Amino acid sequence: MKNHTDVLIRKNAMSQIIVQVEHLNLSYKNVRAVQDVSFAIKSGEVLAVIGSNGSGKTSTIECVEGLRKPDRGSVLVFGKEPRLHRKDIYRKIGVQLQETEYPAKIRVEELCRLFASFYERPADWEHLLPQLNLEEKKRRTVNKLSGGEKQRLSVLLALMGRPKLLILDELTTGLDPEVRQNMWSTFRAVRENGVSILLVSHYLDEVEALADKILYLEKGRQQFFGSKQEFRQWTKGQIPPDQWQEDLPLEKLYLQIVPKTESITMEGIL
Amino acid sequence: MKRFAMKKFMLTCWIEFLLLVRNFFGFFFGLIFPLMMLILFGTIFGNSPIAPGSELRMMDLSIPGYSVMVMGVAGLMSFPLTLAECKEKKIYKRFDATPVGKKHMILAQVTVNLLLTALGIAILLCAGEFLYQVQLQGSIFAIVTAGLLSIAAMFSMGFFFTSVGKDAKLTHLLCYLFYFIMLFLSGATMPAMLFPESVRKISKLLPMTYAVDLMQGIFSGDSLGMHGKELLVLGILTVSFFALGALLYTRRDWT
Repeated sequence: MKNHTDVLIRKNAMSQIIVQVEHLNLSYKNVRAVQDVSFAIKSGEVLAVIGSNGSGKTSTIECVEGLRKPDRGSVLVFGKEPRLHRKDIYRKIGVQLQETEYPAKIRVEELCRLFASFYERPADWEHLLPQLNLEEKKRRTVNKLSGGEKQRLSVLLALMGRPKLLILDELTTGLDPEVRQNMWSTFRAVRENGVSILLVSHYLDEVEALADKILYLEKGRQQFFGSKQEFRQWTKGQIPPDQWQEDLPLEKLYLQIVPKTESITMEGIL
Repeated sequence: MKRFAMKKFMLTCWIEFLLLVRNFFGFFFGLIFPLMMLILFGTIFGNSPIAPGSELRMMDLSIPGYSVMVMGVAGLMSFPLTLAECKEKKIYKRFDATPVGKKHMILAQVTVNLLLTALGIAILLCAGEFLYQVQLQGSIFAIVTAGLLSIAAMFSMGFFFTSVGKDAKLTHLLCYLFYFIMLFLSGATMPAMLFPESVRKISKLLPMTYAVDLMQGIFSGDSLGMHGKELLVLGILTVSFFALGALLYTRRDWT
């Protein structure tokens, strides 16, 4: 295990790989949440993790964040194992968790000041507040914010440490289209500054707009890992030839390969 | 580097203090309620000697009792309820995704609740001295030692309840139930000598009773050596509750 990790560390140093996951496995009691997942993120890249609900996306990235301990496999972030070097790693990564709450009675500006104190060189949060349309809410307590405002606050806090890697779990779920578009602009700007992004999303238009690479998971298993173009080509082999077109949006292609769920009938309702 | 760490910790404590004040519960029951009890019982029962010819007066026994009440509010209510809420809402998980981690937050929460306890006791002593000329006969060393052990016992019990409660509701129930049972049956609110024999038997089963007995004895001038039984019981309870709580936490998923 140690030799394997040493080899990975050397490989990373050579190719500016900032996240490397190999043969990741994670179980909860009797459920195998993640099975043999491998991928890498290079500096400045945006990787989107897609898949149905319960496909192991959040479990996978929580292993990258060091919040969960894998059963098997290795995870290296900036060349270090996240669970063993949490402090070092969190100086370089910013995280927006899927489900996050903050103390209900804390004010937006207090939360920003608190998070800023965790970093030696924090971002100028007073400058970020208007950019995320939170300027007028800064004296408001967190429990008085709307869902979208809370989401934007989470993004601000994720950016607080001037991260080199940003991990966003369902960033725009629940946001209205205009706010989503604004978020995309924000992250394009962040990316232009050399920040890598690991993005979990259910929206393929978002993936199309932001991502360089795609990791597709189903039932905890890796179905695909590669560039967006490679993903298009891969879907060609997964669906009937007459339904595949070169210029179809990713969303359409994805809907054809994703396992179908039972549709809801109106029986028993009407 | 140390200065940075200290500044960061002070700011976290300040914000935790603001949250404690805004949550009202801990602030009211830790600082205001014991003072109200002191004035209310003082007005009703006066400050007469506890027995004919005794130098000890009612308020000399009430102040250490109310002090334990303050310890109970911080250790059995304010701290564990904050911890249970942060655990359930995954607030600690968010802090684990920063360079400081949840330990930093928990340490700040413990510190603020210890300060609440110290402030609550200080207010009681000042009010007792001002209104009833309470006699503080014990040595400062003995009072501080007895106080710290009693605080540790209350906090360890609260910590244990958070580890037992699968969710915040169960933790709330355990904390409220034990706090109020102990508050009224331990002698913290009214001297145990006023209880009938049957209640005294129940009282002996409650951890807070030993803290009240210890604090009342030490405040009235006893040495620590005269309260070996109370020190032993509180010491064993503190270690056991912390150890059991820690054991349960290692077996549960915090995330």
